[in-house]
Amino acid sequence: MTRLPVLLAAQARFPAPEFENYTLPRMSLEELASDSVLWRVLVLGVFLAVGSLCFYKWRSRKAMLAYSLAGLAVLGFLFASCPCPVGMFQNVAQGIAGGSYIQPGVLLLFALPLAVALFAGRIFCGGACPLGAVQELLHWKSVYIPRPLDRILRLIPVLLLLVFTVCALFGIGFPLCYFEPYLPVFLLDFASPFAILSAVFLILGLFVSRPFCRYVCPYGVLLRFFSMFSALKPRITAHECVNCRLCEQGCPNGAVLPPENAGTAAQHRAGSRRISMLVACIPFALAAGGLFGYLGAPVLSSFHRDIRLLNELEAGIRSEAVEAFESSETTEAELRARVVKLQNGILLASTAAGVLFGALVMAELIAEARRRKEEEIYTIDPSLCFCCGRCYAACPLERKEKHHEK
Amino acid sequence: MTRRDMIRTGLLALIAAPFAALFRKRGETGTGYFWQIDPDKCVQCGKCETECILAQSAVKCVHQYASCGYCLFCSGYYQDKRIRFNTAGENMRCPTDAITRTYIEDPYFEYRIDEEKCIGCGKCVKGCLAFGNGSLFLQVKRDLCKNCNECRIAKACPADAFVRVPADHPYIYRKPPEVKS
Repeated sequence: MTRLPVLLAAQARFPAPEFENYTLPRMSLEELASDSVLWRVLVLGVFLAVGSLCFYKWRSRKAMLAYSLAGLAVLGFLFASCPCPVGMFQNVAQGIAGGSYIQPGVLLLFALPLAVALFAGRIFCGGACPLGAVQELLHWKSVYIPRPLDRILRLIPVLLLLVFTVCALFGIGFPLCYFEPYLPVFLLDFASPFAILSAVFLILGLFVSRPFCRYVCPYGVLLRFFSMFSALKPRITAHECVNCRLCEQGCPNGAVLPPENAGTAAQHRAGSRRISMLVACIPFALAAGGLFGYLGAPVLSSFHRDIRLLNELEAGIRSEAVEAFESSETTEAELRARVVKLQNGILLASTAAGVLFGALVMAELIAEARRRKEEEIYTIDPSLCFCCGRCYAACPLERKEKHHEK
Repeated sequence: MTRRDMIRTGLLALIAAPFAALFRKRGETGTGYFWQIDPDKCVQCGKCETECILAQSAVKCVHQYASCGYCLFCSGYYQDKRIRFNTAGENMRCPTDAITRTYIEDPYFEYRIDEEKCIGCGKCVKGCLAFGNGSLFLQVKRDLCKNCNECRIAKACPADAFVRVPADHPYIYRKPPEVKS
């Protein structure tokens, strides 16, 4: 077929005819779009409140399962998952950078789970997050992930948070929402090419507990940080702990910490030596991170629409984007000026993000090298706890009490 | 007040800070978070049909009757290489037979889009623009669109025609706008 000349402006080549017995049909377009975001915020608030009750008051695994099931049904399938708080950090970043769609609903979706994390830990992850709920319910057998590997994999979300924030700041896009692996599940669209990603994560999730939450989710990094200061701390049992270790084995997320003894003087010396060595490494880590960010900037830039367009234009590629650009009113000089500004911005932000990543890696290493506070019983680390309630179910003392109540 | 409480208050203030952005002065265009196609930028590449996350794209062709010329030989309706001006399949532009044609009065015909059949490929839009008034154009139907945070079509659109529109004006019409009755 020959290409038709594309004329962008609507042209009134033919005047509207004057009819005798004919009225123009109305266009069937709704004049007002219903905005579900504030509804989502309301439902999310209710969910978080009920979830906190289930976890801290009723202390029941069954209640937490019901909570995830409800979360999956309502926030996952009924509200079609998107937009959800997990991706909102990108909207907030773009809004702060001068983007246009910063709205009360978006900000509330972003802030509410974090505010709750300050008081009740990661209740959001437990089931109000549809992505967390689907992973919680579709988990079969836990494969043990060695601690060092877990700690290394846990840095991926930190990196993703920084990279995606830079992407959102400069209008490259919202990669997290683009590649969100569970969206095809919630939309029940298994024909889309992204359904392969869903399948990978769902199958992985059968054996590895919450693979997305632990090793991908950038919002989880924020939640992890905020829940460190949580006012409410979950206790595995209200009774005298007998240190049977069943809760530690029951937790698939590595959130149950074993008792910590006071340690010998030799251990203390070795510990402080390790920490001082790590502190000495900080400048190198920052420099390496900065270099990494500096070198990564061109890669990030190449995903930006305008930069890609200019590259294609200069290389003489006749892509659809180039043809669309040529028929638009923007001149090449304007585009070039915009691209230069963008490239500089991305370079700066990416380098800064790299330095920050280096700092965060070192912080993680130092936190790992430090001795924990002395503790005689098994405790929960609220920053890693996804509030699933498995430890309550595993604890023999809790079970005994539940049995007596009946 | 313990140190922990102080950190908590500080963090609460931190997450409240982005709310300040709400009070910033903003331009008229591009506010709101509903995806829409700017018909003046659209180049009818056909990505709307294929890229949408939904099995049936939320993008449909709409007809602004007020700017239609009611042509006898509608270039949105007939293909360029038509054999005859009749309604046989090989003469039609629309691959799914979503355009129905009704006789009004000599020599004018009304063209209607059957939304159930329309797949949003934009072929008729291209035809209408080439030889007609451009009264056919693509729009994201608000009742079908899931309004994903990152629209897959917007990402793939070569002309950057996807914009965010406010809730009270969720459609972008061609000029001249339809006269309201």
